[in-house]
Amino acid sequence: MAASGLAQPRRGPTRARSEAIAGYLFIAVPMILFLILNIGSIFYALFISLWRWNLRTGPVNFLGIKNYANALSDPIFQKAITNSLYYAVIWVPLTMAVGLFLAVVVNQKLRGRTFFRAAFYFPAIASSAAITTLWIFLAQPDGFFNSVRAGLGVNPIFSLFGIAPNQNWIADQTTALNSIIVLNAWTTSGTFMLFYLASLQSISHEVYEAAAIDGAGAWQTFWRITFPLLRPAHFFVATVAVIGALQLFDQAFIGGGVDGAPNNALMTMVLYLYNAAFKQFNFSYAAAIGIILFLVIFAATLIQRRFIGNTPSW
Amino acid sequence: MTDVARPVLSTPTGARHVGDTGAVWRRRIAYTVLITYAVLMFVPFAWSVITSFKTLPDATQLTVVPQPFTVAGWDYAFNKLTPSLPVLFLNSTVIATVVTLTNLALGSLAGYAFARLQFPGRELLFLVVLATLMIPDQLRLVPVYLMLNGVGLTRGIGQYIGVIIVLAISGTSIFLLRQYFLSIPRDLEEAARIDGAGFFTTFWRVMLPLAGPALSAVAILQFQGTWNGLFWPLILLQDSSHYTLPIGLTLFRLAGGFTTNWPPLMAVVVMATLPILVLYIFFQRYFVEGIAASGVKG
Repeated sequence: MAASGLAQPRRGPTRARSEAIAGYLFIAVPMILFLILNIGSIFYALFISLWRWNLRTGPVNFLGIKNYANALSDPIFQKAITNSLYYAVIWVPLTMAVGLFLAVVVNQKLRGRTFFRAAFYFPAIASSAAITTLWIFLAQPDGFFNSVRAGLGVNPIFSLFGIAPNQNWIADQTTALNSIIVLNAWTTSGTFMLFYLASLQSISHEVYEAAAIDGAGAWQTFWRITFPLLRPAHFFVATVAVIGALQLFDQAFIGGGVDGAPNNALMTMVLYLYNAAFKQFNFSYAAAIGIILFLVIFAATLIQRRFIGNTPSW
Repeated sequence: MTDVARPVLSTPTGARHVGDTGAVWRRRIAYTVLITYAVLMFVPFAWSVITSFKTLPDATQLTVVPQPFTVAGWDYAFNKLTPSLPVLFLNSTVIATVVTLTNLALGSLAGYAFARLQFPGRELLFLVVLATLMIPDQLRLVPVYLMLNGVGLTRGIGQYIGVIIVLAISGTSIFLLRQYFLSIPRDLEEAARIDGAGFFTTFWRVMLPLAGPALSAVAILQFQGTWNGLFWPLILLQDSSHYTLPIGLTLFRLAGGFTTNWPPLMAVVVMATLPILVLYIFFQRYFVEGIAASGVKG
C-alpha cells in the first residue's frame, strides 16, 4: 500500500491528508463494485425497463411504461403475486411461531441445551438445493412420507382433506406450495430461533421475579410479559421473514422448474422474473418485474414498521 | 433468587414446583419430545446417506439397511453424470474459497477504514454500504447480467470471474468487521503510530491479528453462503462444465422428472452437505454469530 510509509504523527495537515488517502484506498475496490453493481444497477434496470431490449445490440425502441402495464395485466404474474402473498401469509407466522417456541425451549435451564440449539439450527445450514431435492425424494408417491403415513395408519385423516395414500406432494397443484411452506418452515425456524434467543436472553430476571411474586403462572407469564417484551424482536424477525418470503425462488424453481409446474402452482414473483429473462429472453420485461418486486418489498417493510414498530419501546 | 426465577421462566412443559411427581413427569415428557424433535432434524440427512448406497428399486423401501448394499450410485455420480460429481465439487470449492478470501481481504480493509480512519465523505459512503443490503438481488439480475455479458464475462472462463466479481464483497462482511474494529480499544493503534507505523502496517500488524473472531464469522458466513448459493451461479454459470453442486442437483432432478435415478442424486446431496456439516461441527459458534449479525441483511 502506498499510504503505509506516509504517517507523520506530529504534523497535523500532512497526516490528515495521508490518512484520507489511506482511507480511500482501503475502501476503493468495494465502493467501485457497489457503485456499479448495486447503485448503478438500479438506474440501469429502470432504464432497461422502458425499452424493448436486444441482448446483443441493446435498446431497440422506446416502450415507456408498457412493460409494467403488461406485467400487471398478465394472469400468470397475478398468479405469481397471489402465490407469493399466500406463501408469505402462511409461512411467516408459522415459522415465527415455531422459531419462538424453539427459542423459549432452549432458553430453559435444560441439560444439553447447547446440543438442542445446535440440532434445531442444523437444517438451516444445508443448501436449499440439497434439502429441497431430498424433500422431493421423501415426498414422492412411493416415498418416505407416504410410507410412514401408511405405517401410522393415519391415512383416513388425510383423505378427509382429499389427500390420496400415494399423494405426489410436489407434483400435485393442490399440495405443491403447501409442501414448500412446510419444508421452509422446518429449515428456517432454526434461524428465527437464534434471532429470538438473543432477545430472550436480554430480558431481565427481575421482571420474572416480580411476576412470580404476583402469582402469575408460566402460561400467563409468557403471554403477558415475555411476548410483549419481545416486540422489537418480533418486528425484526417479521421484517426479515416477509422480505425473504416475497423473494421465494430456490425451492419453487427446484420443485417446479422454470414454469413453476404443476400448472403455475409454484410460480412466484422471482421465478416469473427469472422465466422472463432466461426462458423468454425478454430482458426489459424482466427488469420491469424487478422494479415492481423492489417496490412491493419496500412497501411491505414500511407497512410493517407502521404496525409493529411504532411503539415507545422501539 | 434463581429458584424463584426458574419456574416462571419455564414453558408449559416446564416444572412449576420442583419435586412434585407431576413436575418430574412433565420434565420427562418434555425431554422425550425434545430429543425426538432433535433426532428428527437429522433423519432426512441420514436417509440421503443410506439411499446413496441403495439400488433404485430399493431406494423407495422404508428400510434402514440397503439391500443389497451397493456403491453403484456413487460410481454413477463419479463417472456417468455430466458434469460429474468431482467436477461439481471442484467448481463449488474453488468459487466458495475465492469468494471467502476476497470478502475477508476487502471486508477487513474497508471495515477498518470505516471504523478508524478519518476521510471526507466517510459517513455518506458507509450509508452506500448499508443501502446495498436493502437492494434485492432480483432487481439486480437483469442489469448485472447485461453488464457482465457486455464485457464478455458470461462466456468460457469468464463465467467464473463474473460470479466471483458479483460475490466478491458483501455489505454484510464490511458491516460485521467495522463493528468489531469499533469495539477494539484505540491504545494499541496509538502506540503503533507513535512508533512510526503507517496506516497499512497498523492495520496489518496490530488490528488484523485482533480481529480473529470477526474474521472467522465472516469466513464461515461467506463460505457457507457461496457454497449453498443457487441464484447467482444459476444465472451466471451457463455452461454445464462450470456448474456448482446446487445447480447440478437442481438440473439433474428437473431433467430426470419422476423417473429420477435417486441413488446417484443422493450421493450428490451428501457431497453438497458434508463439507458444511463438518464446518458446523467444528465451528458452530461462528455460524451462530454470523447469522445473528447477518440479520441486518434480511
